[in-house]
Parts: sequence; structure tokens; C-alpha cells
Amino acid sequence: MKKLNPVLRGLLFMLVGGSAGFALGLVIALAATGQADPAGSVPAVFAWFLGATAFFYGLSGYGPAARGLVWQVVGTLAGALFVTLLRLVMGLDEIFGSFLFSEPAWVFGALVGVLSFIAGSRIADDWWKWAKGISTPEHDEDPADWRKYLGVSLDHKVIGIQYTMIALLLLAIGGTFALIFRTELAASQLQFLTAEFKLFNQNGLQIYNSLMSLHGMLMIISILLGVSGIMNYVVPLLIGAQDMAFPRLNAFAVWIAVPAAVLLLASLLLGGFDTGWTGYPPLSARAPVGIQMFFLGVFTAGWSSILGSLNIIATIVRLRARGMTAWRMPIFVWASMATSIIALTATQLIGLSFQLVMFQRLLGMGFFDATRGGNPVLFQHLFWFYSHPAVYVFVLPGLGVISELLPVFVRKPLYGYRFVAVSSLGIALVGFLVWAHHMFTSGMNEYLRVPFMYSTLLVAVPTGVKFFSWVATIWKGKIETPTPMLFVLGGIIVFLLGGLTGPPNATVSVDLHLHDTYFIVGHFHDTIFGGFVFPFFAALYYWFPKATGRRMNETLGKIHFWLMTPSFLFLTFGMMRIGLLGMRRRIADYDPALGLDTTHLLMTVAGYLIALSVLVFFFNFFRSITKGEKAAGNVWNSRSPEWLVPSPMPAHNYAVPFEVVGEPYDYGLPGSRFVEFSKAKHPEAH
Amino acid sequence: MPHLQDKAAIFRLGVTIFVYLAVLTGLEYFVAVTFASVLFLIVIALVKAALVAYYYMHISRLNAEHEGEPESHGYRTGTMRLGLWLFLLSDSFVFGGLMVARVNLLGMTRPELNQLLGLLVTGILLASSFFMNRGETAMEHGDRKSFLANTTLTLLLGVLFLVGVVGLEWPMAIHAGVKPDSGAPGAIFFMMTGMHALHVTTGVIFLFIVLGNGRKGLYTSEKHWAVEAAAVYWHFVDLVWIFFYPALYLIGRIA
Repeated sequence: MKKLNPVLRGLLFMLVGGSAGFALGLVIALAATGQADPAGSVPAVFAWFLGATAFFYGLSGYGPAARGLVWQVVGTLAGALFVTLLRLVMGLDEIFGSFLFSEPAWVFGALVGVLSFIAGSRIADDWWKWAKGISTPEHDEDPADWRKYLGVSLDHKVIGIQYTMIALLLLAIGGTFALIFRTELAASQLQFLTAEFKLFNQNGLQIYNSLMSLHGMLMIISILLGVSGIMNYVVPLLIGAQDMAFPRLNAFAVWIAVPAAVLLLASLLLGGFDTGWTGYPPLSARAPVGIQMFFLGVFTAGWSSILGSLNIIATIVRLRARGMTAWRMPIFVWASMATSIIALTATQLIGLSFQLVMFQRLLGMGFFDATRGGNPVLFQHLFWFYSHPAVYVFVLPGLGVISELLPVFVRKPLYGYRFVAVSSLGIALVGFLVWAHHMFTSGMNEYLRVPFMYSTLLVAVPTGVKFFSWVATIWKGKIETPTPMLFVLGGIIVFLLGGLTGPPNATVSVDLHLHDTYFIVGHFHDTIFGGFVFPFFAALYYWFPKATGRRMNETLGKIHFWLMTPSFLFLTFGMMRIGLLGMRRRIADYDPALGLDTTHLLMTVAGYLIALSVLVFFFNFFRSITKGEKAAGNVWNSRSPEWLVPSPMPAHNYAVPFEVVGEPYDYGLPGSRFVEFSKAKHPEAH
Repeated sequence: MPHLQDKAAIFRLGVTIFVYLAVLTGLEYFVAVTFASVLFLIVIALVKAALVAYYYMHISRLNAEHEGEPESHGYRTGTMRLGLWLFLLSDSFVFGGLMVARVNLLGMTRPELNQLLGLLVTGILLASSFFMNRGETAMEHGDRKSFLANTTLTLLLGVLFLVGVVGLEWPMAIHAGVKPDSGAPGAIFFMMTGMHALHVTTGVIFLFIVLGNGRKGLYTSEKHWAVEAAAVYWHFVDLVWIFFYPALYLIGRIA
């Protein structure tokens, strides 16, 4: 047989596996309930699991990804069956639930499933050996070809790319979900997500709610993984480390994001959930069982985030090159530090808040049930203690990327280096004190409003420092505008719009009117696109040659930028406009008398244009890996150490360690140098 | 460095710290049953936590300067020490969140629990920390026999603590009407003790591993990072209980 392209083989396997799973699911549903509904959940669950597993199997054989997924499925079923049998033996009622198993069985099964994934993908094997007193080699050799990205690698560059790929995948899925419900919103009344529409045992309105809720959380997880991806790839290179401080922990953190994503998506198949991404009780206390999968998925992804940031902090503190004092660290390293401090600590609180709702549902513990002495507002405090600082986790690395790339493309020193460096920490620390501005209308004590208003407005100060620095850096610079720089400039403008629409929301008197309107949706899409998505794309275009030795196509990159930016600006301006005119968040339908139909239609068109631009990016990205223009040298004429050695980067980074001898951003100053490689013969690229 | 000091002197210091902690715990109980000043109880808990963090968990080792070259064992141990403390910092936010939930939902009330048993398990955990410290110190001086004996004692006391909380206190609380689904006091009590017991359980597993490898002779006075990690983690679990005990047993009136 002729050898098939592995990707084609994977897709083919997915098709066959998915169909087989669908048929199997139909048969099981028929056997269990006496009726086989093709739009029901059970066939979909089987199709999804078997299809995903078969895809990875086709791609690389029975490797960690396929093996982990198989084990996760088997583990989930085993755990669920165990609880079901236990309940049968104990003589409890509700042995089965509306989705085959009862809720406790699903929760326990999902937990066992995650642990089974860990066992099956063998990401914790070295620790297991250590526990038994067996020592392991320092570094396993990775395969030379692309297959290393599907295996458990300890190399921070491979792990960074793994993070980025999962992030892009979730970005695509979350974006598709947004397009679906954006289409429904194109006109008033319900068009296709109607009460008659049936999918996964939900009607159209429930599907709308589930997609809208999942869009939020999938994007958040995607952003967290994207942040980790860039930090993992870039930070050790910038500070001259051979690898991260804890390579095994690093591999563990990226791989448990996979079962987390599986759980999040599985929530759609188990009745979905209708709470929005925030999962407030009491609504989440009575949502379908899908919300438990959502909770567990977020919980697992949270551990990925916590362990990843722990690693980043330890790496930055312990593994810097000689001479790299705090005031000579690149801004992106400062930003990674600030972001990791938030992710390390605050993430525990969203985990706790979701855990408490989980137990309220399972054991009737009335934490947030006012009829049992609980307090729903407590949930919001715990939840926002993470979920507000989380937005700084998203944007700080992005703003760091902007500060990192701007001097390269204007050929001038970064203005006010020390202030910019400290502003990241400033945003992170003030960010811990602002959470209750999400709760001005929630019924919390009124005297809390004003202090939280002022602390929120205070965030504008360190953020303003960054803007001041960027503008002053651009001032009178020799500006070059290759694709990464376009995205940097776009990021600055879009983030400015997000920033300027923030203080109105922070002001109590205005927020009482704006709360839960589309104005808020417009505001945070601006901040997240400006603070993360634009800089993320800039970073991908910028460091792509470092990872592959080839560069992405400039023309396609410019098409991507010029298609995405105006469409996006139109979309968010539209959101803010309809918000001010009275359009509420999260709802599937609106009154035609509001007169918003035209704006909504145009916004939907803009949404599709953004999707098109991202497709252009994906095409460019995957094509350039093999067919891009060769670029082994210092493509951007940067001073940063990673560009002074040839691309792609070798497995253990710098063959010769470097020493920091000057300031990082002194572009254009004659005779200044940032790093010096120890040996006389420079490995400088040409 | 501590292991350069005289072993007997460190053992004596361990005893002194244990006596301080025991007296402070007694004082805590006395304050609670007499004038019940919350401020006093908080101050005592903070002092106890500081003693544990400084003398048992050697927090100052984070600041060690003479660790050698980046590739050396000493430097790498320092990196792992930082990693462990970062993990503990992260973990303490869970417990902090549980304390916030307790204050928010219960305020100046507390669940009705068995005071004697509470004092007893607190003492058991305190004693286990004392033996853990002895075990770790012994390993630092290459005294494997004493290390194994003391760690075994720690492990047994840890199991005894679990039996006291999960095996005795939980059924007794349920019998007295403090149930997971009977209202906020029960929910808070079971979640706080449950999360803490989960950490004690992982600590016990960690001690099992360290004991097993210690018996194989894998640790030396120079290289015993796993022992130090297990010890610091164990003391952290004790430190959490230093705050949970007054929060659940001493502060406020019975709900």
C-alpha cells in the first residue's frame, strides 16, 4: 500500500471512527431507552470520542495523545459504572439519569477519566519511577520530525508549540461557536435555533445558551494556553536558559490541558449549560449535568495554568544568564513574571468557587443556597477574585510582546524601560483589589462600591504608563511595517479603545446602566483582542522563523491584518452602540422595535470577515511550515539573543552561553551591545 | 547551613519549639473558654504559624546564598525549594478562600463539635510535626536509623489524625445534626476538614514514599531533597490546621 500523508490518514481515520462511534451510540441508545434519536446525546458522545481518538491514531499511531484519550474514555466509563453499581448496591434511587448515568456517576467518571488520561499518556511516569526509587535520564531525545509535537517532550520549545497548537485549535472551535450564535442574532426573532430545533437532547434556545457559555470559556482556556505557549517558547530563550526549571512539570501542564478541553466540549453533549461562562448559582445549581463537565474541565485547565506559571516564575528567578539583573531583563520576561504571579495564586479561587457549587449539587451542601444559610454573593466574590485578575493574565504578556517588538521595528530604545517593567507588576498587584466592580448590581454591601470603583480606576495609571512609553517610543522612530509590526500597532489601537471604554464601566453610576448590556461585551472584546489576540498574532509572525527556519508569507499576513482589523473594529463598535441602545448580553432574541436589526446584520457580516481572515492566517501558517521562504538568520535585525544564533533553534538552545553586557533595547545607539557570547568565535547568523 | 550545626542542639531547639507550640495551643483553648477574644486567638495562631514556618519549615533557606554553580546539586535543590514554596503559596489560596467562606457564612458562630476530640487531634498533628522535624534533622546528619524511626512515628500520628477527624469527628457531627446538607455550618465544616484531610492523606502517601526510599538507602546527608520536601509539605498541612482549628472549634458561639 502506498504511504498516505499522515494528516490525511488522521482525517480519514476520524471519519471512519466517528461514523462507527455514531452507529455504536445509536445501537446503545436503542438498547438503553428503546428509541434511537440521531440528534440525541449518546450517539454524539460516541462519535466524538471515537472520532478524536481515531484521528490521533491515524496521525501518529498509538502515541500519547491517542492512548491518553482512549484511557480517558475507558476511565470515565469505568468510574461512572462503579458509582452506578455502588448506588445499586446501596439501594439509592436515581440509578440512571437523563444522560444514561446519574450526575454523581458522571462526575466521578470524569475525574477518573482525567487520572486515566494522565496514566495512559504516561506524562507522570518519571515521577512514578522516582517514587519507586528509580532514577531517570535527564533528557530523552525527541524524534527528529514533526512527530515530537504529538509525543511527551521535555523540551520547552516543543512544549511551547504544543501549547500554541492546542490554543489555536480551541480558538477555532470557540470562534465557530460564536459564528453560530452570531448568525442567529443577525435578525430579530428566532430563525434556526428555535424551540423545534433538536440537537444533543437540547432545543435551539438551549443550544444557543450552551454555545454562548462555551464560547466564553473555550476562548479563555485558549488564551491561557496561548499565553503559556508564547511564554514557554520565548522566556527561556530570552534569559539564556537551556530549558525551564521543571521540564517534567512543564510537559504535565501542557498535556492535562487535553483532557480539560475534552471535558469542556463534553459538556455540550450532556445537556449543555445555560449560565454563561460565569456559572453563577443559583442558576448553575440547577443547570443540566453538562455544567459539572464544565466545572471539571475548568478545574483541570486551571491546574495546567497554575503549574505552568509556577514553572515560569522559578525559571525566571533561578535560570537567568550571567549579568541579567532585574533591570536588564527584557520587558516580556517582566510581563511573564507578573502574569504568572496572578495565575499561580488567584486561579485557586475559581477552582474553589466551582468546587463548592459542584458539592452543593452533589451533596446538598448549601454554600450558595439562601434557603440553607448560604449566600450566592459569596460565589461571586470567590469567582471574580480570580476572574478579574485573569484578564490581566491574558493581556500582560500581550502588552509585553508589544513593548518587546516595538523598539525592533522603530529602531529606537524603548522609552522609560524601568517604568514599563514595573507597570506590569503594578497592574498585577492593583488587579487583585478590583474584583467587586463586576458586582455593583449584585446586591453586595453598598459601601463596597466606591472603594472598588477607585481601585479599578487606579488600574488606568500603570496601563497609561505603557501607552505613554509606546507613543514616545514610536515618536520620530524609523518605522518599518512588516506583518508583526502591523499587529503590534493594531494591538495598541484596539487596546486603547478597550481601555478607554473601561472607566465608564468602573464608575458606579454609569455601570448601573451599562451592566449586562452589549456595551460590556464590546468593551472586553476590545481589551482582549488588543491585549491578547493582536499581540499573539504579532508574536506568531515574529517568532515563526525562530521555530521553523522559514518565515510566513508577507502578502497573506497583510491580507489577514487588513481584513481582520476593520471588521473587528466594526464589530465591537456595533456591540457598544447596540448596548447603549438597550441590547442585553447573552440573550438569543431581541425586540424588532428596538431597531437594532441592521446593526446586528452588519455585525454578523463583520464576524464572518474576521473568521475569513483567521482562515487566511491558518492557511499561511501551515503552508509556511514547509513552503515558506527560508529565513535562518536575524530576520528582524533584533538585538535579542535568540536572533543572534541560527534558526531553527537547536534542541538545547545556546551552544555557547551568553553574558548580558548592556541594556536590552538600545536600538540605534552606536556601539551598544546587549549580550556577548563567551567564546571568541561568535555563532552569529548571516 | 543548619546541617553544619550540632545535631543535639537542633534536637533541643525542636523540643523547645514544640513546648512553645503546645503552651500556645493550651493558651488558645483557655482564651476560647474564658474571655473568647478573637483578636487574641488570631494573634496566637499567627505566632504559632510563624514558629512553624521559621523553625520547622526553614523558610529562611529560600534566601540561601552559597548554593554553588547553576549546574551543582546545591543550586538545583534551591530551585526545587522555590518551586515547592510557590506550590504552597498557591495552595494556601484555597485554604484562604475556605476561611473567607467560613467568615462570610458563619460569622461569629461555629458548628457544634466535640471540643475534647478537637484538642486531641490538634495535639496529635502538632506532635507529628515535632517528630517530622526530628526525622529530617536526623537525615541531614546522615543518621538513617533515627530518620526512619521518627518518620514512621510521624506517619502513624498522621493516620491517627485522619482517624480522629474522618473516622470519629465526622460521624459524631452527623449524629449531633451537623450534616453536609443541614445548613451552612455543616457544609463549611465538612468542606474545610475534608480539604484538609485530603492534604493530610497526600502527605501520608508522600511520607510512605520517602520511608520506602529511605529504607533502600537512597538518601544521604548531602542528597535528601525528597525528605526535605515531604517534611516541609507536612509542616504546611500542620500550619493550615493551626488556622482551621480555632476557626472551626474556638471562635464564636455555637450556631
